[in-house]
Amino acid sequence: MNELHIPLETTKLENGLRVVISPDRTAPVATLGVYYNIGFRLEPRGRSGFAHLFEHMMFQGSEHAGKMMHIKLINSSGGVLNGSTHYDVTNYYESIPSNAVERVLWLEADRMRALKVDDENLRNQRDVVKEEVRVNVLNQPYGGFPWLDLPPIAFRNWANAHNFYGDFADLDAASLDDVQQFFRTYYSPANAVLLMVGDVTPDEGFALARRYFGSIPPGPPLPKADVGEPPFEGVRRGEVEEKFGTLPAFAVGYRAPERRTPDWYALAMLDHALHGGRAGRVYRQLVLEQQIAVDTGGGIQYPVGDLFDYNGPTLLVSRVLHKPEYSPDQALDAFDAVIDAVRQHGIEQGELEQVKVKFRSEYVSSLEGGHGASIPRYGLMHYLACFTLFDNDPSLVNSILEGFLKVTPEQVRVAAQRYLDPNRRAIVFRKPTKKAAD
Amino acid sequence: MATVQMPDPFAQVPSLGPERPVVWPARTRRKLANGLEVVLVESHTIPKFTGELYLRSGNAVAAANAKSPGLAEITATVVRTGTEKRSSRQIEEDLRRIGADVGTSAGADTTAIGFNGLAEFSGDLLKLVAELAQQASFPADEFERERRQMIEGLRIARTTPSFLASERMRRVLFGSHPYSIIAPTETQVKEYRLGQLVEFYRTHYTPGNALLIAVGDFAAPQMMEQIERIFGSWKPATVPVVPDTTLPELHGRRVHLVHLPESVQTQVVVANHAITRKQPDWLRLALANSIYGGAFNSRLIINIREQKGYTYSPRSGVHALRQHGYFSVNAAVRNDVVAASLTEIFYEIDRMRSLAVGEDELSDARTYMSGVFSLGLATQDGLASQLSTVYLNELPDNELETYRQRVRALTAADVLAAARRYFDSPNAQITIVGDHGQIGDQARLFGEVTEYSAEPE
Repeated sequence: MNELHIPLETTKLENGLRVVISPDRTAPVATLGVYYNIGFRLEPRGRSGFAHLFEHMMFQGSEHAGKMMHIKLINSSGGVLNGSTHYDVTNYYESIPSNAVERVLWLEADRMRALKVDDENLRNQRDVVKEEVRVNVLNQPYGGFPWLDLPPIAFRNWANAHNFYGDFADLDAASLDDVQQFFRTYYSPANAVLLMVGDVTPDEGFALARRYFGSIPPGPPLPKADVGEPPFEGVRRGEVEEKFGTLPAFAVGYRAPERRTPDWYALAMLDHALHGGRAGRVYRQLVLEQQIAVDTGGGIQYPVGDLFDYNGPTLLVSRVLHKPEYSPDQALDAFDAVIDAVRQHGIEQGELEQVKVKFRSEYVSSLEGGHGASIPRYGLMHYLACFTLFDNDPSLVNSILEGFLKVTPEQVRVAAQRYLDPNRRAIVFRKPTKKAAD
Repeated sequence: MATVQMPDPFAQVPSLGPERPVVWPARTRRKLANGLEVVLVESHTIPKFTGELYLRSGNAVAAANAKSPGLAEITATVVRTGTEKRSSRQIEEDLRRIGADVGTSAGADTTAIGFNGLAEFSGDLLKLVAELAQQASFPADEFERERRQMIEGLRIARTTPSFLASERMRRVLFGSHPYSIIAPTETQVKEYRLGQLVEFYRTHYTPGNALLIAVGDFAAPQMMEQIERIFGSWKPATVPVVPDTTLPELHGRRVHLVHLPESVQTQVVVANHAITRKQPDWLRLALANSIYGGAFNSRLIINIREQKGYTYSPRSGVHALRQHGYFSVNAAVRNDVVAASLTEIFYEIDRMRSLAVGEDELSDARTYMSGVFSLGLATQDGLASQLSTVYLNELPDNELETYRQRVRALTAADVLAAARRYFDSPNAQITIVGDHGQIGDQARLFGEVTEYSAEPE
């Protein structure tokens, strides 16, 4: 019951492109994706926000499919598409009726081979991205909280600490040369994986992958990257003004372990015990029982990533919006009491067993969904991509659960002591500039 | 050895292959003796199941009959905080023990108890859902806590441009109809009494008012037996109906400006009355919307995003409530291009109203609509959502099976007729949310301006 048997077939083309296919004939639809092993962590200095701006440029035209052609060809095949930029990967994906598989591979290969964009496209998408930042961050209560607030406080290496959505001056400074340079450096077949999940047979999928991607040159070797981060020392505190919202808030970031280490499995269970919905200790204590907070949430890379899609220094985050009649320090003390309890006593065996069942249940759901019903099996594609790019082993998608289900209460207690250290963490306070009426 | 000249695979866009047939799974339907309507679909993609217990009463009936907007929502919220058998904490831990989630909420027309969980524990989860529907205990302390959380949530919503825009737009379109209210005021929330929640629960959480949809990894006959065992003893009762009120007649464009100080962007909504899901023009309107602004490849998005860069995520939509519907266009735009954006929004509407769509664009849009529809087949959530649309709106039983062929039969004349009837450009109502100092002059170019504060009335 804990072992999954999702069918997988993989191959690697001569140019280094890895191809992973997970066939399923339930419905005549497929989700396809290309993941590049580059995210906003490695964008060039002085070009904050560039990896995301670049992602927009990938929809602006390639040699055989000019501006709007890419989007038009997929929509008019009955499909939907999008892309997203993460810390360490950038993805491009499509969900389509399966008779459009070849067409989508043609489009993805064309833009991997030969991106073709001009200054006009760049100006246009720079404007679009600025409106995206305004609608999601600058003109929104608690915009960017805490995912843009915490890294500059927590980290010392620019790679990990800068504004990933981009300062507007940096976005303005981005040039077409930067675009072509970034493309040549990171968007090579050897730095990517192609995924097909759903109604595609491996024979057909591999043949089409060879046909369209096989002739793309492998590209230059990747530059050495330094994303190293000195160890966390002390408590790093910061403040950000909250211009719209009326509730004070804070978020705490603890350094998370590397993926697939014993501590990582244990911390994932602890994270669930703390942040898993209304039964989680943080919500139960602060919102339901003590009623200091109005809302809480948290997790590894919360709220913009997950347990699997990072490959560098990252944070276990906890976020608390609290009532204005409590001071931020009072609210933080109440939060710290919850953390202190798990550091002292770990969690109970019965609690851990519940968490494991819930974790398994959510994992299975995220494989099928993960991105709303219009992108079937987004989660399966996403995990396969991360396990391929970071671990070189897509079959982890079937076996990874085992590691979580083996975790013992003692391992959880040890992980709590090691990682949830009150003396080594980052804290950001969001301070409302206007007072709530009452 | 001869060298073979390979043709350039990129020279031509690959044509679409032959389609595999789209086959919707069989439904098992039954009306239990107490009136509960049940619809089941097997889907064995993952070892889970998902569904909704709907009650056909929401915030509209609460606003109309109890004069208490949001009462359905707070009732649904407090329902999950205790039953005659379980405390709030017990409920949450029991859910975690079986790997399940429950969500309770209310919209304008319906209340829903949504659930999903591992198939191996389906009985336990359904028992909890049945308990929430029949034996909620409404603990007074949980009610007070939820009331405060609702007030804080509303305060934050009132600083969110998209919320403020929807709130004003709905007031303008729906006047004295309960659909005009998307959220209660703080004062109204403070006036809720626990007895009102209990009364709403007794009146509306009844099997004759309910629809249970479940999709997942089960055998339908056994699941139906299980549901009969668990829900069969639910006592029937009659349910009051929502009186329909006539809508305001809107003549001429007007601008409704909600002043949000220091706003660095402007939320624009253009809206007018349209139709419900049951009306025969629905599909024609949906296709017209898809061509206008409902898809990435649509005219509005090409224009104001891809050509002009005014906005990130513009969209138009057709929204069906049970008694009425509306069409709306939404965009969050740069402050200095509010007038320019409105000009393009109306230009594209008027083009839809005056010129027939070409064959290629029509055919692309039809393929888009039918393709995206079939993506819903692939997941349990997708199936559950398609079934909800069919059975909540009382559409024909073969709605899913005939959808694609009905879309394919639509013509350019259908699209033109739908646009002329339901993209009501001359009488469209414009709502904008932003800083009046930056956008007031631009607003006045489009009609008489009424200004509102973002603060609650």
